[in-house]
Amino acid sequence: MTMPNETKAASFRREDALPYQRLDEETIVVDPRSREVHLLNETAARIWELLETASSVDEIVEALGDEYEGAPPEELRREVETFLADLGARGLLASRGRA
Amino acid sequence: MSERDPICEDDAYAYGDAGALLGRAHEWSYRNLVPLNASIELTLRCNIRCLHCYNFDRDEPRAACDKPELSTPEIMRVMDELRAAGCLFVALTGGEALSHPDLFAFIDHARKLNMSVQLLTNGTMLKAGVAARLKTFENLMGVSVSLYGATAEVHDAITQMPGSFRRTWDGIRSLRHVGVSVRLKYILMRQNAHEAAAMRAAATELGAPYLMDLTVTSRHDGSNGSLETRVDRQQLEDLYRGPLNDLAVRKPHACTEENFPCNCARGNVGITATGDVIPCVSVPWPAGNVREQPFAEIWKSSPVFEQIRGFKIADYEHCAPCDHKSFCKRNRGAALTASGSYTGIDPFVCAQAELTHQLADEREAASQGGAAVASAPVKARLAVVR
Repeated sequence: MTMPNETKAASFRREDALPYQRLDEETIVVDPRSREVHLLNETAARIWELLETASSVDEIVEALGDEYEGAPPEELRREVETFLADLGARGLLASRGRA
Repeated sequence: MSERDPICEDDAYAYGDAGALLGRAHEWSYRNLVPLNASIELTLRCNIRCLHCYNFDRDEPRAACDKPELSTPEIMRVMDELRAAGCLFVALTGGEALSHPDLFAFIDHARKLNMSVQLLTNGTMLKAGVAARLKTFENLMGVSVSLYGATAEVHDAITQMPGSFRRTWDGIRSLRHVGVSVRLKYILMRQNAHEAAAMRAAATELGAPYLMDLTVTSRHDGSNGSLETRVDRQQLEDLYRGPLNDLAVRKPHACTEENFPCNCARGNVGITATGDVIPCVSVPWPAGNVREQPFAEIWKSSPVFEQIRGFKIADYEHCAPCDHKSFCKRNRGAALTASGSYTGIDPFVCAQAELTHQLADEREAASQGGAAVASAPVKARLAVVR
């Protein structure tokens, strides 16, 4: 993934090998290492999809903004950042680095 | 040995507190007919010759008409098709799954497909290097190891392989040493029922989850010598009133049209070593073969699966009026192999239900009368999480 400059926000990608399955709007993610199971709601499931490839917060917010018309960008950004922090804390992100 | 689908009865064992979320996923797959759970028999080859094996009589030569087993590319393709159909949990079994030279490639393929793997094995081929290799797979949920006794004398007499008990325990320790999750699956039989308490003690000492399973059925080749290893009625009662009492007593479950059918051909599917698609690895009723038809086509429209999905309670003519049905585990594989009909019965399963009902009534009566009752926790299934 090409980043335009070094000040671009960090990029995030989900752990490649984690078993998961979409269940209608929700997605279930299984982590055999911790033996934990996570259930992602509709928005979280969409972000999980976007994290198949490395994405920055800006990119995720932009994609969600296109899909959730009327959602205030700042609110989306807060939700995305909170969710990414949660994923990171649970060890579900593969990498996180400055681009 | 041949291991059965772990999802039918005791899927929650592997996930501890996550069982509720998994239950939700399983309910979703049941409602939406998505094969979330699949068992794949990688091969029927096995290095031991268990008396109770449900595949075929391992003391006899294989039938000449047997179809060739699926090749490695064919199994990979089936995994692709299962994933496309919504499969998340794959149980790799046999025969002895570890006897397949490409086992690791299959686990890795499942990893690339974001599928969770549970490996079912007799444990005798789990050398230290194999355990270390298994540990490298992030998608390996755990290994289920079958045991047939608490002593080498009893276990080895059932496997007909001297030294197998020691090798299996060496394998279990190798897995534990490298940090792979292990579950013990004890099969209780006429030959080892007297060791039930000792089996549970060994699992408790190890600190591993374990399952006490009384399921022994006729073989899928039509022979029934395996039934000679089944506990008899008296042994069953002795077990239920003795070392298995805390597991055997359970509350009744509601029997409605919505929940009466089991997960066969709804959230569960089995793929045999020769490519037959069956409703569950325990139920030898082929709905098609992946060599002849895409899996998705078989899953969606095979007459066998449509028939199974269409059964109503009334179609189970022996079960529908039965007073014990709320306590019955309704083992369809046992029913099919015993009676020749998916909606038939296996008298052994009926005896289990009757006894479970009786024990529940006795406990209820004692409780209402204020009598002292041993305070063992009530469990809904013969599985214990430790």
